[in-house]
Amino acid sequence: MSELQHEIKNLIIDSLGLEDMSAEDIATDQPLFGDGLGLDSVDALELGLAIQKRFGIKIDAEDKDTRQHFANVANLAAFVSARQAV
Amino acid sequence: MKWIALEALLLEPDAQRSITFEPALNHQQFCRQALQLAGYFAAHRIQRVAIHLDDAAELAIALFAAWQASVTVLLPADAQPQTRARLASQTDLWLDALPDTQGCTPAQSSPLATDACLLTLCTSGSSGEPKLIDKTLAQLANEVAALEQLWGSEIGSAAVISSVSAQHIYGLLFRVLWPLCAGRVFLRQTLPFSEDMQRASLPHSAFIWVASPALLKRTSDNLDWSALSRIRKIFSSGGALPEEAAAYLQARLQQFPTEIYGSSETGGIGWRQGGQHWQPFAGVAISRNPQGALSLTSSYLPAGHREETADAVQIEADGRFLLGARLDRIIKLEEKRISLPMLENTLIQHPWVTDARVGVRQLGRAVVGALIALSPAGLHALRNQGRRATTQALRTHLSSHVEPIALPRQWRLYTELPYNSQGKLAQSRIEQLLAAQRPTQVLPDSIEQTTDGLLIKLQVPVDLAHFSGHFSRAPVVPGVVQIDWALHLARQLIADLPPRFTGMEVLKFQQLMRPGDRVQLSLRFDANRSKLYFSFTNSNAPCSSGRILLAQHA
Repeated sequence: MSELQHEIKNLIIDSLGLEDMSAEDIATDQPLFGDGLGLDSVDALELGLAIQKRFGIKIDAEDKDTRQHFANVANLAAFVSARQAV
Repeated sequence: MKWIALEALLLEPDAQRSITFEPALNHQQFCRQALQLAGYFAAHRIQRVAIHLDDAAELAIALFAAWQASVTVLLPADAQPQTRARLASQTDLWLDALPDTQGCTPAQSSPLATDACLLTLCTSGSSGEPKLIDKTLAQLANEVAALEQLWGSEIGSAAVISSVSAQHIYGLLFRVLWPLCAGRVFLRQTLPFSEDMQRASLPHSAFIWVASPALLKRTSDNLDWSALSRIRKIFSSGGALPEEAAAYLQARLQQFPTEIYGSSETGGIGWRQGGQHWQPFAGVAISRNPQGALSLTSSYLPAGHREETADAVQIEADGRFLLGARLDRIIKLEEKRISLPMLENTLIQHPWVTDARVGVRQLGRAVVGALIALSPAGLHALRNQGRRATTQALRTHLSSHVEPIALPRQWRLYTELPYNSQGKLAQSRIEQLLAAQRPTQVLPDSIEQTTDGLLIKLQVPVDLAHFSGHFSRAPVVPGVVQIDWALHLARQLIADLPPRFTGMEVLKFQQLMRPGDRVQLSLRFDANRSKLYFSFTNSNAPCSSGRILLAQHA
């Protein structure tokens, strides 16, 4: 697990108030929404804000793949690295 | 575009009239598909259909097909397995995709029956049981006509972009039925993020948003506000929009969102655009009932029917009104109506739970928290599988009954809930307990003076804070916590104990102390040696013992 993935997992746990969870409990490819971690649409919004704030990046409104970026931790980490490189 | 009354929407197919795009659908195609599907319903002798479709245009086709075929539509708020099972006896067909209607003879179009109850909405009732609400087409038609009257000219031919589901009354009226009648195009999908809303909006020369506080209070600051300021109207409904969020949008878009107040039961009641006061809709007569709650009659309700809400209200001399808190235990969580009694009743059905109370905490988002009294089986699960597995099992149990947003994220575990001496546990107290840290110390059940010291009986708290990390699958009281308890209790109970901790001697840990264990702690202070002797035993078997070395200040 990369450092960035680890950081994102902790961000998810802290910003969404998930009790009794640690970064090790979230698989990098585990779906965050629906049947996976069980997050909901409001979490998606909260997480979107938290990610932008923490990493100083912007979600591009032209980007059609926003949903895809938030599918799991691996995608989120890839998305954050890509945006940070811009 | 020419206004077409709701009941006449299938009568004159018009290929020039757009319904939606990506993929495009014009009115002629819409009518053809709806009549074809009406033929399918007739051929299969369907009388009641449950419709759950994410695509708003497909939902519109299915609705009008059903109404043309005199099929009653049930619009479930969610597609949870329990919801499906519960509604199964009341429907002939659960539609979550449009069926293949090839080979079916299309139905003949005719004006729809406006006085028949052809739509049933599902929502959470105050008893915790889901409530079914019947609507006639006339009620819906009155409501969309009133909306057009109020805002039609302002909105003009704007495209309708939305973040709310069309399965609920607000989305159904504002993003499907109203645009259909007015000849405005509407987006098929429900968009989760404000960035998505922007991307879908900007290709249109004019657009409106049908949104909710959940989205509007979380718009990100990197939106292209100057491009978005072409927006004709922003609607928000499902709960009050916080003042800061309204002001934030006003500063960027030069208009306050237009908030709609109403519910599935009541239909639209009033609206406001900035400020605190609500303006009742034209066909709505409101009053304050003896309980202080808003009561109404309305042209969006059956004639002569008075609907009582549970919302506290204050009515001004000019007819506008202010809303207060809800007077029952139904709460709005990010626009989703959640029945607290329903959650509690469902939790209590689990064999690990003897009693349960739930409340809400406002973190970055609102989350549900639960106070749980564990049964012996629940305590066994906690001791042998850990806290996370225990609470996760309760979440899984709930998840087939309620939407994900209502699943508790915070848990406080007990053997008995902390009712006060009147046997009450007020909602405010529940919320305090959820906000408080989990215990780190232990309270003695009894204290006995013996010949050479103290004998203290205590029960290991089932929800000790240390159990989360130690260990996640098999919670035990860490040794350092046992020493801390011994010293902490000794300082409370033994006078003149030297203040300084200098070390430990002959420390032994022999048996684990686990959640709910009833143990005895003996304490003896040897003043000559300045040593505090402690030992924990569980039914005479030693758990731990040692000597704590104390000293006066250096």
